[in-house]
Amino acid sequence: MTEPATAAAVGPSEEDPGPRRRRVTSLEVLCGLLVLALVGQQWIADQLDVPAIQTGATVFVAVCVQALPFLVVGVLISGAIAAFVSADLLRKVLPRRAALAVPVAGIAGVALPNCECAAIPVARRLIQQDVPASVAVTFLLAAPAVNPIVLVATAVAFPGEPRMVLARFLGSMMTAVVMGWVWARFGRMEWFAERALRRLPEPAGHRDRWGVFFETARQDLVDAGGFLVVGGLTAAVLNVVVPRSWVDTLGEQMLLGILVMAVLAVVLALCSEADAFVVASLSTMPLLPRLVFLVVGPAIDIKLFALQAGTLGRRFAVRFAPMTFAVAILSAVVVGIVLLP
Amino acid sequence: MRRETQNILLVLLGGALLKISFTGTYLRYVKPSHKWLLIAGGTVMVVLAAVSIIREIRGARAHAAGHDHGHGARSAWLLVLPVLAVFLVGPAALGADSVERASGNATAKPSTEGAGSELFPPLPAGDPVALPLNDFSARAAWDKGHSLDNRRARLTGFIVHEGGDTYVARLAISCCAADAFPVKIKLLDRQLSNLPDDSWVEADVTLRPGSATRATEYVPSVTTHTVRRIDQPEDPYEH
Repeated sequence: MTEPATAAAVGPSEEDPGPRRRRVTSLEVLCGLLVLALVGQQWIADQLDVPAIQTGATVFVAVCVQALPFLVVGVLISGAIAAFVSADLLRKVLPRRAALAVPVAGIAGVALPNCECAAIPVARRLIQQDVPASVAVTFLLAAPAVNPIVLVATAVAFPGEPRMVLARFLGSMMTAVVMGWVWARFGRMEWFAERALRRLPEPAGHRDRWGVFFETARQDLVDAGGFLVVGGLTAAVLNVVVPRSWVDTLGEQMLLGILVMAVLAVVLALCSEADAFVVASLSTMPLLPRLVFLVVGPAIDIKLFALQAGTLGRRFAVRFAPMTFAVAILSAVVVGIVLLP
Repeated sequence: MRRETQNILLVLLGGALLKISFTGTYLRYVKPSHKWLLIAGGTVMVVLAAVSIIREIRGARAHAAGHDHGHGARSAWLLVLPVLAVFLVGPAALGADSVERASGNATAKPSTEGAGSELFPPLPAGDPVALPLNDFSARAAWDKGHSLDNRRARLTGFIVHEGGDTYVARLAISCCAADAFPVKIKLLDRQLSNLPDDSWVEADVTLRPGSATRATEYVPSVTTHTVRRIDQPEDPYEH
């Protein structure tokens, strides 16, 4: 962890290059880092030779390796929107009133199978193209949670419990739409980071469009990738530190079970294709807390929080994340009480 | 961070994804079906970086260079971490440590109870019959048809010593190693303290009926006939 810290200390020199003196460039820093790492390889390996750290390192690499391809899909879609879909077109397609546009965005989430990491760059791009923020956050929450892949995975994990699939769909959709409406009423644009809103110049010609596509996708990948790493590190530490045996002691306690499962969904940061299999294995627990886990997880977790703070702005994330957490728990409980007696 | 540096990092990161897909070490981190996703993702990363480098060299974006970034991409330095982790460390597959962190077997109980052994298809022929630990453990706990009684099963897993007991264990993953859950089976009747933790073995065993109960946290006990050391299988996890 010391490398990024030293790197950050050197970084600002490029933002404001001194008039005369030649500064160290990031390229030289990177080369230095790589050489140091190569030379110190044995030392590093020795430091990591502790079982807990090894487990954490494996989980860290696993989270990154698993999420990166999906992030790539997200930045490609984001680049395509920036290059080929004009703000005018989006304005025409979406209903003018936010109250109507929000559910439309929720349905759009079903059609675009997306992992949660992919949805964030896409949502940012939508906001840049003048789509109302309420619509973008609805899409952000709906896309990873209600798409066909996730629902099929849930059906496979809970054979003989088709209500679980319906409950998950409704709970997640409700979370997304309610958050969209709340944002339409109370959200403020100044909460977004300035760089998240900066418009790209309209591409001039056909050639230029491809240039915009590649450049936007590349830049989004570099930006978001760093924050994915933060999320992966956090998930790895928590995965090692938080014992799963927590869950086993809960047994039949409903209220405590709901709260613990909600927190667990945040700290474990599982991908939405896999979480159903994990909760399905917690067989001593009633269905309702497990539904809470499935609705909260794709909406907000520690890795998503890092990505949101980095891509959309810290002031946005500290308001949006706790709110989503609360709304997701409530939606899941309401749907669960109705559907899962 | 400069564009050149970002591009080099992207090439390294994409290269890391490609490297683990081609060498097979990706199986330590994700399920086998992710292979093509990793290859596609890694290739796109390298292509994005390459396009940027080529445009840079041609000077095509000289006019655009002024307005974007120069800041904001400081987080990109963190991309060094997965690159170093993959190329220099290459963390091993999860093993005994993960098993010791969990308490018992969280084997999924078949959700339609009462259907009895219909949920478990008859065991394939063969003596001993090779079974995944996950399947063995589920049958031991929930199979009302008692398909495992008096059958020799061949289990492949690694050794875990806990307290005075020895287990053969394996981790099951559904997507990536972050969602791994352990399955362990207690080996009785054999002195196995000479085998260190994490040594891979093939064990021929017979279930002790009724040993996987709530009291034992659904960890079955077995009579151990033979234990043979083997190399770690290509895919260290069950799915």
